[in-house]
Amino acid sequence: MNTPFNPFTLPGGEAPTCIEMLQLILDGESTREQLEYFVLHMEQCPPCFQSYEVDMQIRQLLKSKCCREAPSGLKEAIQIKLNGQINF
Amino acid sequence: MDEISRHVYSEEEKNHIFNEEFLPLIHSMYNFGYRLTLDADDAKDLVQDTYLKAYRFINSFQKGTNAKAWLFRILKNSFINDYRKKSKEPGKVDYQEVEAYYNSDEVDRQITPDLRVESLKDMIGDEISNALNSLEVDFRTVIILCDLEGFTYEEMAKILDIPIGTVRSRLHRARQLLKEKLSSYARSMGYKNT
Repeated sequence: MNTPFNPFTLPGGEAPTCIEMLQLILDGESTREQLEYFVLHMEQCPPCFQSYEVDMQIRQLLKSKCCREAPSGLKEAIQIKLNGQINF
Repeated sequence: MDEISRHVYSEEEKNHIFNEEFLPLIHSMYNFGYRLTLDADDAKDLVQDTYLKAYRFINSFQKGTNAKAWLFRILKNSFINDYRKKSKEPGKVDYQEVEAYYNSDEVDRQITPDLRVESLKDMIGDEISNALNSLEVDFRTVIILCDLEGFTYEEMAKILDIPIGTVRSRLHRARQLLKEKLSSYARSMGYKNT
């Protein structure tokens, strides 16, 4: 790595591992600076690049296949039940 | 999520919060309920119970705070108290073992995935849903909260009543398990080098 400063560096000065950097990115907990660093890092680190691609594809699959909508009428059923409770 | 501070809302305010902030989240709530119970009828009942509880305890909701996280926490607690007992889930995972795994060198050796984007792109059926549903409920939960609902570590820690470090390690392990499941699907689909 030629990059002078790694924004993932831990407070004690310990260098982060690839998996630690990747997880922070995937979990949506990275700063913009860390994200920018990681994008550059991936260009030189094929395992990170592959892993990131796979994880993003899984996330896309999750979003397209694992989001069930509430059945129609559930909202109304809740409102009816609630009105019944409030009135009694 | 501050349980100490309470507000006394007028009926009009209560209804406004309920109709404008809580009810629009019905699809996310239902999906969470469904992924926890894995049963459409149970999910409906769980979501209904959650909304009724939310209205009953609406005075402990602080207007302007995260309604989604507040509702998800009630739903999760309702699931544990009322539904988990009757489900056929295996016992709880030994999280000390999970933490030990997370802190071990084994983790770094898995940076190279044995799963390819190409094989994932061919998973146009229920593979991902089946893989997610097959995970133990605590692992399933963090994947939903993070990857589908976009909650932060801090929000997840509050929803699940666990430390942030545990959220992180649980998420990491959940992703590994999901990948293992998907890898075996890829192999069964004929991908020799998954």
